[in-house]
Amino acid sequence: MGYYDLDEILADGQKIPCRFTISVPGLGYLENNPGKPVIQNTKLDLPLWLAEILAICEIQSEQNDPKEDPDQPTYFIELIQPDFYSSKIINAIKTNALKIDLHQLLPYFYKLSVKWGSMFNDTELMAIVQEMFKQRACAINDYSSDNNHLQLLNSEFGLQLDETERMLFRQCIESHRDLKTWLSS
Amino acid sequence: MSLPKKYKNTFLPSEVEFQAEDQPILIIPRYALKDRQLIGTSIPVLKPMKRAEVPLWLGFILKQQDRCNIVTPSWLSINFLKKAYQEEVTYTTRFFRMPWNWLEISKMILDKASDDMTEPPHQIRALIQDLREVRLIKARRGLKELNESYMQLDNLSLMEINELRPMVVGVMDQLRKLQVGTNEDEEVSDEEGPLSYDI
Repeated sequence: MGYYDLDEILADGQKIPCRFTISVPGLGYLENNPGKPVIQNTKLDLPLWLAEILAICEIQSEQNDPKEDPDQPTYFIELIQPDFYSSKIINAIKTNALKIDLHQLLPYFYKLSVKWGSMFNDTELMAIVQEMFKQRACAINDYSSDNNHLQLLNSEFGLQLDETERMLFRQCIESHRDLKTWLSS
Repeated sequence: MSLPKKYKNTFLPSEVEFQAEDQPILIIPRYALKDRQLIGTSIPVLKPMKRAEVPLWLGFILKQQDRCNIVTPSWLSINFLKKAYQEEVTYTTRFFRMPWNWLEISKMILDKASDDMTEPPHQIRALIQDLREVRLIKARRGLKELNESYMQLDNLSLMEINELRPMVVGVMDQLRKLQVGTNEDEEVSDEEGPLSYDI
């Protein structure tokens, strides 16, 4: 993880659904409606780096006294639970973590989960994600030894790996291969 | 340093082997050699046919020059290895206590001094291979118990740990990141520690 980490940047660019709590003039181009305002309660997909800021940035306006208007929203947008954390997916993860197609679902699932977890402190969700990662990591390690890695690359599971898991897979293969080369040298 | 990441996070097997070369080994010299003091270690007086304990690397140099015979360590025998294998199979939850460098030393002795062994080297080699496999399977099973903060693999040797390290460290680090409420600490440690294990 770091400033120059490409995966990190790509994970930050992942779009997540959110809802505008106020109308913003001139932002219509976000929903292919240039020149028009974004109306209150519009649902939009925004990249995480933007959504995160807008969701935690408080609106300050000089003429408004909070006492006068308690319904006045204090944040620009609200984050909506994205599809990849929907109960359907979570149940699928609980049933069989090895069968989830993470690559199709979200190539940066874990990186995003880390951010999500720190934003919402969702202990329950993170526990599920941790358990899933553990199970999948064991499967990855099993595949990566004994020349099995070619099998994995061609198998269904191999195409369903998240980017973090791919990195782990590569490291495991290298480690096992190094030892094997040494043993037979 | 501009080393590839994998060299920073773990050792190569050859580096582990290099470390193991410092282990003492018994030899039977054929020629006399004066004692000498080296940085960090000393070599005793070598008298012909009198057993002496020297570092492995010296033993192999002398062996190569036909100046000594290497005494096979007691654990590198068919009996001991068979017993170890039995123990490994019997107790599924723990590892049999092998020397810390057993893989490296056995490989070096089998490669460089197999003619000094009293028992057939190919049998020893096969037993070592079996032992390694059964321990690897056991270690792999143990990995299912991984968590973000703690891991204990008693009696696993250096080379075996080294093989599993990228996987274990990577998984534990990721689990730690996924742990709610730890992310603030992590930001700090990442900036400070050039040795942090990134995955």
